[in-house]
Amino acid sequence: MSSSAVEAEAPDLVCQLDNVQGMVDALSAVRWKRHQDAVVELSEHGVVLIVEDTGCLQAKVYLQRELFVRYEYHAEGRPRFGVSLGLFVDCLNSFSAPGRSSMIEIQYPGPDMQLLIKSVDSLDACIYAEIRTRIPDTISWDYNFEPAGSTPLTFTVKSAALKEAIDDLEWPGSSIQINLQPDPPCITFKGEGHGDLQIDFTYYVNTDLVIAFHCDCQVSYRYKYKFLRATTSNLPSSVIKDNRGSKLTIGRGGMLKVQHLVSVARSATSHPHIDSAGHQQPSRIAYIEFFVKSEVDE
Amino acid sequence: MKFKAFLTEHGVNLLERRFLPALDKMGKICHLFLTRDHAIFLHNLLNGDGVQCIAQFRKEALFDDYRISSQNEDRIAFAIDVSLLLRAVRSSVSICTEFGNGPSANRLQIKLVKKLPLNCTQPMPFLTFETKGYKSAVIQDVPISKPLSRAQVLELQTALELAQDIPQTLVQVPELNQLQNFVERMKQVGDMLNVSISKYGDLHVQISTTLITLGAEFRKLLVIGEQAEAPSDDRNQSAQTRSERAISRGDAQRVQVSVKHFSRSLHCHLAKPDCTFYGIAPQGSCLTVIFQFFIPGTHQTDKSISLHCRLPVLDPGSS
Repeated sequence: MSSSAVEAEAPDLVCQLDNVQGMVDALSAVRWKRHQDAVVELSEHGVVLIVEDTGCLQAKVYLQRELFVRYEYHAEGRPRFGVSLGLFVDCLNSFSAPGRSSMIEIQYPGPDMQLLIKSVDSLDACIYAEIRTRIPDTISWDYNFEPAGSTPLTFTVKSAALKEAIDDLEWPGSSIQINLQPDPPCITFKGEGHGDLQIDFTYYVNTDLVIAFHCDCQVSYRYKYKFLRATTSNLPSSVIKDNRGSKLTIGRGGMLKVQHLVSVARSATSHPHIDSAGHQQPSRIAYIEFFVKSEVDE
Repeated sequence: MKFKAFLTEHGVNLLERRFLPALDKMGKICHLFLTRDHAIFLHNLLNGDGVQCIAQFRKEALFDDYRISSQNEDRIAFAIDVSLLLRAVRSSVSICTEFGNGPSANRLQIKLVKKLPLNCTQPMPFLTFETKGYKSAVIQDVPISKPLSRAQVLELQTALELAQDIPQTLVQVPELNQLQNFVERMKQVGDMLNVSISKYGDLHVQISTTLITLGAEFRKLLVIGEQAEAPSDDRNQSAQTRSERAISRGDAQRVQVSVKHFSRSLHCHLAKPDCTFYGIAPQGSCLTVIFQFFIPGTHQTDKSISLHCRLPVLDPGSS
């Protein structure tokens, strides 16, 4: 009897999405290697997916409830489950057909604690998936991001320029120094290893690339190249196409926060003339955040 | 052993734009089996593990002035590299259109020859393409295997006859592109695909591993052969329950095939078939895909062309 009572209970979450490709793009942005375990956290505000690497790098994808056509949340607290990120993305990708918007329904949990996904837009052709979930690991390191001082140390650059700069720094190698100086306002990426490479973004010179800059004192921190690269390695092509900016902030202890915006709008409504500023409504954006720990100087 | 024929314009189009690109995706090497009436391209008929693909043309569909003779009832078979054959046909076509006065002025002759290549002591067999222009002629030699022996030809003929069994129930897949797209993405998730086909017109494909189950169900497809009315209480069930029930009632069959094989068979859409049917052979011995071609401008089957694939079954299934 008790089992039937359990079955009758509404699942923690049932939600519907009309742009699978947008979700695939957003989740792919935090996919920097083949096997990654992700933790998914559900709340009344939306879905957050968290991935982590060796206590030095953490990434979060925020899918706010406004991205979904329907969002029915019934849980107490914030249920969390673990899932293989690669499998989740590859599976979602199967639901996305080019040139055709497809509506999917996501449900958690299924009868065996699975994540259930199904297409809901056609009666005579249906795609469905069940992904096994795990009990999530506790996150090994708390990425409490705190501002470094009274004014934030932050700058915003075009995502494409950021990605290009980080890609170029591959050659010198393992450790990259990021330097911010207020006068003249300038951001420097410097790699030393198999030769030196320095890339400067001067605020007043590159106004089309550097959109914002706040810094009241000079700071300099080093980051492992592989972690820095992870922040832009899988940037969706829509981010570049939409000419978006990425915001970088340096917090206490040199922790670097990198934020990207990924469009999850329906392709049919993403005409540039919708909004004179060329931006989509904020509700159709997925937020991606990376936290990179700085290297401790010897 | 002699073979000589002229490819017709229609024949060149069929091979160059449609069939050879499709056959090229099925595997590098195929057998070309020539008889008094037919030219047949065969993949994997003599070695059992890959997708068998059989493209059969009546000689009139491709050739005119078709002459063949051999001591084995005028049958000749040899192995040939499909991509080389495609390249030879393509460049012959470009020579025809570039230097000729329209395609009709040029005739593309194809014949079997033995030549002594450079640095060789033994003459080697070739399939030669000869394009005669106004003032010049271009000859291309496509290397082929030694012609198959009488015993091997018999073996090929037997395999071909065995590959002709038609499933009792066939369902028509309307949008091959859509299915191909899905299967290409599905390939990332697993290696083995369960395919079930019911007499109600349901096609259900599914990958199931310890971590994930991913599937697609296409319903109310056109059925050829044995069909049945779908039970009304199935409507609200999940795709998986529906196929389980259909199988237990004996109204459906299920087989397991390699996802790679399935996706390869879908590449046959490059041959631009007018209809595609999937069916499971009796006793679940293989998954059969039959492509149908219409006489241009009509809805009548072009009986001079046939193409079908047989996918080996990995597991006898539950049938």
